[in-house]
Amino acid sequence: MKGGNPQIDALWKSRPRSRALRFSAWFALALVGCVWMFSNIQVAELWNAHRLENLHRFLSTRALPEPLRSHSGESLWLWCNQQMQAYGWRGLEATLEISVFAIVLAGFFGSLLGSFGARNLMSAHPFVPHATAGHGDCSHALDRVAQAMRILCILLRAIPEYIWAYLLLAMLGPNAWPAVLALAIHNSGILGRLAGETIENLPAEPLRAMTMAGATRKEVAVAGIFPMALGRYLLYFFYRFETCVREATVLGMLGIVSLGYFIFEARAHDQYDVLLFLVLLGGLLVMLADLVSDLARRWLRRGV
Amino acid sequence: MRWHPTRRARILLGFVLAAGVAYWGLGLNLSGLLPKTGGLHLAGDFFSAAWHPAFGYESTGFVPAEAPSFLLKVLHGLWQTLEFAIAAISLAFAFGLVLGILAADCFWAERGSGWQVFRWLLRIVLAAMRSVHELLWALILLAAMGVNPATAVLAILIPYTGTLAKVFSEMLDEGDTRPADALKYLGATPLRVFLFARLPRSFPDITAYAFYRFECAVRSSAVLGFFGFPTVGLYLKQSFENLHYREVWSYLYGLILVVILLEFWSSLIRRRFVA
Repeated sequence: MKGGNPQIDALWKSRPRSRALRFSAWFALALVGCVWMFSNIQVAELWNAHRLENLHRFLSTRALPEPLRSHSGESLWLWCNQQMQAYGWRGLEATLEISVFAIVLAGFFGSLLGSFGARNLMSAHPFVPHATAGHGDCSHALDRVAQAMRILCILLRAIPEYIWAYLLLAMLGPNAWPAVLALAIHNSGILGRLAGETIENLPAEPLRAMTMAGATRKEVAVAGIFPMALGRYLLYFFYRFETCVREATVLGMLGIVSLGYFIFEARAHDQYDVLLFLVLLGGLLVMLADLVSDLARRWLRRGV
Repeated sequence: MRWHPTRRARILLGFVLAAGVAYWGLGLNLSGLLPKTGGLHLAGDFFSAAWHPAFGYESTGFVPAEAPSFLLKVLHGLWQTLEFAIAAISLAFAFGLVLGILAADCFWAERGSGWQVFRWLLRIVLAAMRSVHELLWALILLAAMGVNPATAVLAILIPYTGTLAKVFSEMLDEGDTRPADALKYLGATPLRVFLFARLPRSFPDITAYAFYRFECAVRSSAVLGFFGFPTVGLYLKQSFENLHYREVWSYLYGLILVVILLEFWSSLIRRRFVA
């Protein structure tokens, strides 16, 4: 890139550079290279003749719906209807209910975690301009609360839903609570962090004006932060709802009667046609949730 | 006096109602929250084990003499978890970037409607890829192709490519349009506008999001262990079934540590990009 133009050369030389970024890029490349060269993961394995034969056999026999496979003359439509009556509707309903209940719980607890973890709200003198701020005596305690909340959020979300559900199932027994709580716990951690970030990124001027007009911390939180942050928070809420539906399907594999339960049953009975049908059904539900959450977010972008 | 709820109040009320309907539909009751018989004991044992995670095997009776030390096993499990995640996310990033560009509106700006049809078809395919959970992909691929480490990578790769491509395309479309307009009015071709104004502008967002998805991939990879792949989930499940709760917590703390380190790395990068 050495052109004859000294001005462009000067610009090129003075471009912003960061050692951390450069190091990160090389480190990431080294990790990827290391994994592909030295681990036992060989993607080419998937395309060897043996695997392709397996795939072909699977698609042409086990994955085909029963009426197509046995040429019994039974209509495909009837077969689909039977699956819907036996598993489909129940699974869909439970999956949707688990995810809705879980996301509302997560939204509530996430907003609490976020509010108590936001550094600007939890400072000794929130939103007071520096010149007039007194010397805080309780600042350390509040800072520590905020820090504890942020660490709690990391702990809650670092453990996958599936593992939470597995642990809770052993304690609470097979009902819908383990699935609901697992989703709610993990998503509270995620929403708590996002809510905290949202509150910290709010424009400070209106909140400062409220404070200077005599509003207490609680009043600023309820009358200032809540209406200002709600729109953005709901964007995240709906984004997580979509993931909740995906996860609720799968949590059924642990014995909670959502779609995943029937999927696992079909696998245990070696009925891969039913399994594929139910997976597709779950996929449709997720696509629907995706659409709903997209529409809701578009609606929210115009303001709450 | 009649109550006129604001739009905000109505939204929140709607959520509470929806939760109530779901609660009723699931047939839940609050007594279900109490641990079942023996469950309370188990819960107590499990959570008290959190304070002293294991640094060695809890019972040495069944451990073969030549087995590696427990801490090495934890590290090995975590590294294997990372291996699957790195392999999957590296491919998903490459495919997601290409497909995301192809699915972005601004890439096809000022082109014929034939390309728009292609774009919509691509978006539907991407939606289908990400609407099936990675565990379900794993289930299907296991049945179709047999057990192989690459099967797990493929199971993570397919839905993650779909998600990354969708989000990348949105980031490309929603970025600041002013630099693109400036280049356009200077006479740059649409491709050059895209390459020199759109793409570089959204690159920080794209990197940050890819990092977040990497964190998710680590979790997915850990969970795939429950299906027999040699990640930390497999060891965790075995320890839990053997009632070795202190070992379970060692694995959980290991996983949490990995996530915190990733978080630290990604915040480092994000700060540099924003500054």
